[in-house]
Amino acid sequence: MACELVMKEENDIFLEKLLDDSSFKNWVYKINKNDIVFWDAWVKNNPDKLKLVYMAKSILLGISFNRDLIYEDYVNERLSIVLGKIHPVKNSNFKIYKDKARIKKLQFSLASIAAVGILFLTIFFFRDNRVVYKTGFGETLDLKLADGTSVILNGNSEIHYEKDSPRAVYLEGEAYFKVKPIAATKAKFWVQTKNLKVEVYGTHFNVRARGKKTDVLLDEGAIELVFKNGENKKMVPGELVSFSEKQMTHDKINTSLKYATWKNDTYIFNNMPLIEVMKYIENTYGLPSEFKNTESKSLLISGGIPNENLAICLSAIQKSVGVDIKITADKLIIN
Amino acid sequence: MNISPEKSTWFLFVQGDLNIFSLIFKEYYPLLHNYGLKISNDIDFTEDCLQDFFIYLYEHRESLGEVNHIKSYLFISFRRAIFKRLKEKRKVISLENPYERIKKFQFSEEELTVQREFTSIQKHTLSLLLNKLSTRQKEVVYLKYYSDLKTTEIAEVMQISYQSVLNMLQKAFINLRANVEDETIRAILKKT
Repeated sequence: MACELVMKEENDIFLEKLLDDSSFKNWVYKINKNDIVFWDAWVKNNPDKLKLVYMAKSILLGISFNRDLIYEDYVNERLSIVLGKIHPVKNSNFKIYKDKARIKKLQFSLASIAAVGILFLTIFFFRDNRVVYKTGFGETLDLKLADGTSVILNGNSEIHYEKDSPRAVYLEGEAYFKVKPIAATKAKFWVQTKNLKVEVYGTHFNVRARGKKTDVLLDEGAIELVFKNGENKKMVPGELVSFSEKQMTHDKINTSLKYATWKNDTYIFNNMPLIEVMKYIENTYGLPSEFKNTESKSLLISGGIPNENLAICLSAIQKSVGVDIKITADKLIIN
Repeated sequence: MNISPEKSTWFLFVQGDLNIFSLIFKEYYPLLHNYGLKISNDIDFTEDCLQDFFIYLYEHRESLGEVNHIKSYLFISFRRAIFKRLKEKRKVISLENPYERIKKFQFSEEELTVQREFTSIQKHTLSLLLNKLSTRQKEVVYLKYYSDLKTTEIAEVMQISYQSVLNMLQKAFINLRANVEDETIRAILKKT
């Protein structure tokens, strides 16, 4: 009896894992070739788990109901009854549909209106089968992808992926990834940039694809880079790889190395000349810098610079190197 | 930077924005209406409850506490409201127990569509099998597959543990599966 209980518990845990597993779901819904091949083979090789696979598949597919909901007119009619019964005058903040813009907004879906309202410049839309997230200058965006992976998108950046393969994303700009490992299946996660592909299982790393260059810095776990020419390179934590068409550098982070990375809304610079630091600011906030004094270009910055917003970011830079930065409408002036 | 769209929607609702209230109403009224109908099996009763529920929400919006997920919040509180009302009704009408008298969560074959994967089962059989489940199992099935709630949300709505929701789903499908053949798996096993 006790033994049966243990078995039941183990089975429950395994079932939960299957239900959470995005690769398993892909197999059930038949949407990713790799996953279909993998699980077909897995089912064949694990006949003892057949019952659980059956169960998980049934739970995921579930019962299909006809989704005939109530007529829109009926709901609108009910809404006007309810609106007639509530007493808005009690609240002074209340605004009746005064201007046209607000009424127009009503026609958007609930999700899009909330996104429009809060993410400001952030664009989030589906194009055909593609999911796109885009940030404007000076914005960051916390994303949770369908498979549980979290992505923090820096300013002026974009990621997109096809709905069918949510674990293969394309990046332009800069993002920090915390990929959720899927131990049961070892399903991979890919980040593609203009010139290389990062292949991972579950790990934390930063990718910056600006201009012709892609930098990858690995914080945790292991990743593999696949270059355009087909070459591969494995990385271990603390390593930094910079790649452009012309050259590749591969370094282990240490106190004398010149590098920059970004996570938790903070830039981490080490031995970075001010002129290069200002390049990051330009990429993220869209404001170019003008140096009144050439000597300050080569001042070195080491340490964390918060980039939640431009003012905080600039004041940290001013303090750390002792320059004066003025913000004008279209550029930053450094004295 | 961590404000989710839902939180901001709710924030605007609490501010008294009637546009947002209308959006929430239109988005969730149909789902809540059908859920209430499954619980009470009485359309007028459900309508009354749901109208009063939305009016209450608006008028007490500032004292509702923190709301992270609008959908599960609405399901939790509407469920509570409708059960409370059923209890009151029971006191007024008779000593009869409405929980027994009312046939809750009955599924008709018209409501169901049959999945391609399960070829051997008919709509009629499926509705019969579903109706044989316990009320709570049926409620889990309904919340998951009709209302599209996540397992964790169902646990919150029904005030049971995540594990119990999962167990109920398993029990429901053990009953169903005995009558269902899975073509895909059969095909895989056949291949050598």
